[in-house]
This record gives sequence, C-alpha cells and structure tokens, in this order.
Amino acid sequence: MTSATLNRKSRIPIFIGLCILAASILYPVFFLAIAAFRPRLDYLRDPLGFPHEWTFANILAVWNGYGAGAAFLRSLLVVSTALVIVLVFAILAGYALAKFNPPFAKVITGSFVSVMLVPGQVLILPIYLMLSAVGLVGSYASVILLYVATSLPFAVFFLSLSFRSLGDELLDAARVDGAGFFRTLVQIVIPMAKPSIATLAVLQFLGMWNELLYALILLPDDSKRLLTPALSMIGEKLVNNQPLVSAGLLIAASVPLLLLSLTSKYVVEGISIGSSK
Amino acid sequence: MSTIGSSLETAEAADNAAPAVAGTPRAAWRRRERWYGFLAIMPAFLVVVGFMMYPILYALYISFTKTDGVDFEWVGLGNYFNILADPLVHEVFVNNLKFLISVPLVIFFSIIVSVLLFEKIRGWKAFRFIFFLPNVLSIVVVGVMFKSIFGYYGAVNGVVAAFGGERIRFFTDGDLAIWVIVIALVWAGFGYQSLLILSGLTAIDPSVFEAAALDGAGWWRRLFSITLPNIRRELGFVFIINVLYTFSSLFGFVFVMTAGGPGYDTTTIDYLVYLKAFGSSNLGPGAALAVLLFLFIGILTVAQNRLFRVQEND
Repeated sequence: MTSATLNRKSRIPIFIGLCILAASILYPVFFLAIAAFRPRLDYLRDPLGFPHEWTFANILAVWNGYGAGAAFLRSLLVVSTALVIVLVFAILAGYALAKFNPPFAKVITGSFVSVMLVPGQVLILPIYLMLSAVGLVGSYASVILLYVATSLPFAVFFLSLSFRSLGDELLDAARVDGAGFFRTLVQIVIPMAKPSIATLAVLQFLGMWNELLYALILLPDDSKRLLTPALSMIGEKLVNNQPLVSAGLLIAASVPLLLLSLTSKYVVEGISIGSSK
Repeated sequence: MSTIGSSLETAEAADNAAPAVAGTPRAAWRRRERWYGFLAIMPAFLVVVGFMMYPILYALYISFTKTDGVDFEWVGLGNYFNILADPLVHEVFVNNLKFLISVPLVIFFSIIVSVLLFEKIRGWKAFRFIFFLPNVLSIVVVGVMFKSIFGYYGAVNGVVAAFGGERIRFFTDGDLAIWVIVIALVWAGFGYQSLLILSGLTAIDPSVFEAAALDGAGWWRRLFSITLPNIRRELGFVFIINVLYTFSSLFGFVFVMTAGGPGYDTTTIDYLVYLKAFGSSNLGPGAALAVLLFLFIGILTVAQNRLFRVQEND
C-alpha cells in the first residue's frame, strides 16, 4: 500500500478531503431524516436549523393517511415471495451448471448471459401485452413473475461461479456415501456456499425493493400499489410539504438502510464482484 | 475418486468415445446425473425464455407492425424510418447528450474518493460504508429527495432565501432541471464507482510505489505516472457504464423529478419509450424505439468488451 510511503502530516489533508466528500453524501440524508420528525411550521420557520420540536405525526400520517404503510407491506410480500423463488431456481440451476456438466450447458449459459443487459423498457411493452392477454395485469403474480425472470440471469451466473469454487472432494465423498442430487445440495453445497447465497439474496432483495417500472405498469390499481410508485406519487402530491415527503422517503429507505448496516461486509464486496465480471 | 471433478468435464467425450465403459453402472449413473442437472436448470431456463427471450422477439415483431395490441398490420421498416425522422426523437436524443455532462463529473469524484480511500486512512472502512450508501437507495428515493431539496420550499431555496435571494423554480426551466437531475446522478453514482476504481488500485503491485518513492517521486508525481495509468482499465469500464446509464437508466429520475417536462425539455430516450408505449394508440413506433435503444446499448457493450481485451493485452 502507498500508506507505507506517506508520512503522518500528509495524511491529515486526505482525511479532511474524505470527510468533506462523506459529508456531501450524509448531509442530505440527515437533513431529510430530521425533517421527517419536525412539525411543518417548525420546518418552515428554519429549514436548515435544528428542530425545536419533535413529532411522529408525519410518519403516522404518511403511513396511514397516504397509504405508504399498506404499500410497504405489499412490497415486502411481493419482494419476499419473488426472492424465495429466485433463490430456489438459481441455486438449482447454478449447482447443476457448476458441477454436473448438463447437456446444452453452453447454450443455456450463453442465453442467460445474453439477456442480462436487456433494459426494462424493451421488455415492458411485450410483457404488458402478453400478461393482459391472459388477464394477469393488475395481479401480484405478474410482478412476482417479472421480478423472478429479470433477476434469474444474474443470480444463476453469480451462484454458478461461487459453486464452482467449492471443492469437489466433499461432494464426491457424499456421492460415494450414496447421497443423491438433492441431499448433496441441501446438506453440503448450500451450507458451504452460505456467504455467497446471502450476498445474492441481499442484492436481489434491494434490486426488487427499489424497482419502479414494472411495479408502476403491472400494478396500476391504487389498492395494490407497491412502495416505489406510491412514494413517487407522494413526492408529486406533497412536493411542498417537506416533512411529509421526508417521512415517506424514510419509510421507503428504511429497509435498504437496515439491510446495508446489517450486511455491509457481504454487500459492499458482493456488488464490486458482481459488476466487475 | 478425486478424478470425478475432472472427469465430469470430459464426461461428454467419455460417453461417446468409450462404449466399453458405457455399459457399466458407473457410467450410466453419471449420465443420469447429467440429466438431473439438466432438469435442475429447467425452471430457471423456462422462466427466462418465457419472460425475457420471447418478449424480446415479440418486441421485435411489434416494431415491424402497426398495432393497437390486438390487430397487427405489417409495415416493415416503416416504424424505424418514422422514428429516425421524428423531430421529437432528435430533440430527446439531444437531451440525452446533455445528460452526458454527468459522466466526467462522476468519474472526477470517483477518482478523488478512490485515491483517498486507497491511502487506508484511519476509519477507511466507515468511509467505504458511507460512500456505498446511496447505492442501496431506490432511484425513486434519490429522485424524490433531490426534487424536494431543490423544491420551492426546499433546503436549497432555504439557503437562497436566507441570503436574501429570490426563490428559484428549478423545475420550470429545462436546463436547470437537467442540472438538478445531473447532481442527483452524481450524488448517487460516485461512491459506488469509486469502489470499482479502488479494486483496480489495490491490484497494483505495491513495490512499484515503493521504488518510485525511493527514487524521490512525490505523491502527486506517483499519482499521475503510476496510479492513474495503472487503472485505465477500470476508468474505461466506469466511463462506459456511465454512458450506458445516461441512455438506459434515467427513466426513474425523469419520471419522479420532472415527468419529462417542462414540455419535452428533460425527456430522455428511455422515458420516451415509456411515453410512446403507454401513451399512444399505435404501439409499433414505441417498440421500434425500444429496439433501437437496445441495439445502441448492445453496441456500446461490445465496444466495452473490445476495449478491455485490447488493454489486457498491452
């Protein structure tokens, strides 16, 4: 590392520089987090200052009155369901591709890789027509299906890479002992690959939780709206009521922020691996 | 038994070339396992074929037709000619070019952050966490955040008003609105990309730095003659993904912050695809625009791969 060649004195400006850049990221977040707990009048009197009064009223108003609470729960349900399906399918496919040399493996891998970069705008129109032909538009199933389909190429690719790095000795030993495909997978492969599966789960959860386009178009009904479209509508309607908008932002950002703080080690490294490939 | 790993790779060859072994139970068992593997892939593969590959082909088909989604009338390349001649598409493409200003900004800040983080200063892990933070937030969250911060009663106008200035309506002027979106883009992007660049920095052989330091090269000299030249691959990668981003991923920001307005001043290509697909009775042109966007992204991606290979060789 270059640190060996740096003396103590020159480390101070670097530290200060990093602090300034970090503050540029943190300050807007803090500003909004604090605004979420201020009464509107208190905010308007001195937007940049420190609050004189604290209140939970904004959070409650957005959660109950503007439907963010229901949307939050719907998003949680939809995303968790899709995540479970993605993980099951991707673990099966990733394991098979990594360790079994199945027929047509090249064609299958190639097709997964080739659709990884397809933007949602290309898919949304044909998907909408297909799903409306079978009457699925407006159902949770349609969004879950889309989330599963668009997450799978990366998920399979990611897991087949990490399963490949598992040693063959244990797997072979299990086979000799008569363990079949599923027993080997459940009792040996999954426990051994837990860190990468956890990383993938967090990445995919974040991706689906934050998604806008499919949620917007496939669930247009007020009674089924997911969190991101609901938040964009709150931002539209209440644009001049900063405390309420901030409360909505805090509700939407709470889950990703919580996940990041709990799993930052996996996620920060996982994303760097995922995208540099 | 330790040969199973490697023999799996050659199992296909073995199955065909060694009929003498094919009759034994071991070989039959192995062939059966390969088909188990095939079956295990099928759920994922079928979902991807049904909901990604088939729709892509379907979009291609729609782009050659005049359709309301029910009746399809073949028009050949007509939609493509219309799209390429459409003045609105030209205007929107120019908007996309304006958003490219975010690319050098993001790269500039990413380089600063990564070079500073590389010095492994006290608390660098906490810094890394902070710089990663915007990356887990939804574009909708970032968009609404900046929309409200730059709103009429937002923080920025709070500062303006505190200094006695007149509150600025950022979103009624196209160019100002683009700047606000660009600021949101840079804010959301530079931390994560500095981590990408950092991974390139850590791959540089430390002895090069030590040798240079012994030869009396100062920090700045080392930065320009060792550090930056060694991460040109990562810089190239970051450059391309940013360009891709300004053409394919602004939808969320535009939808949330300006809805493409005022007029079409902040409408981007990917937002126009959405407008054309869900705001008009003929779906063909929207599909044609989507296909063109996809082609453009594909070409950029291939170019990126080429670029990497060239640089890996030298």
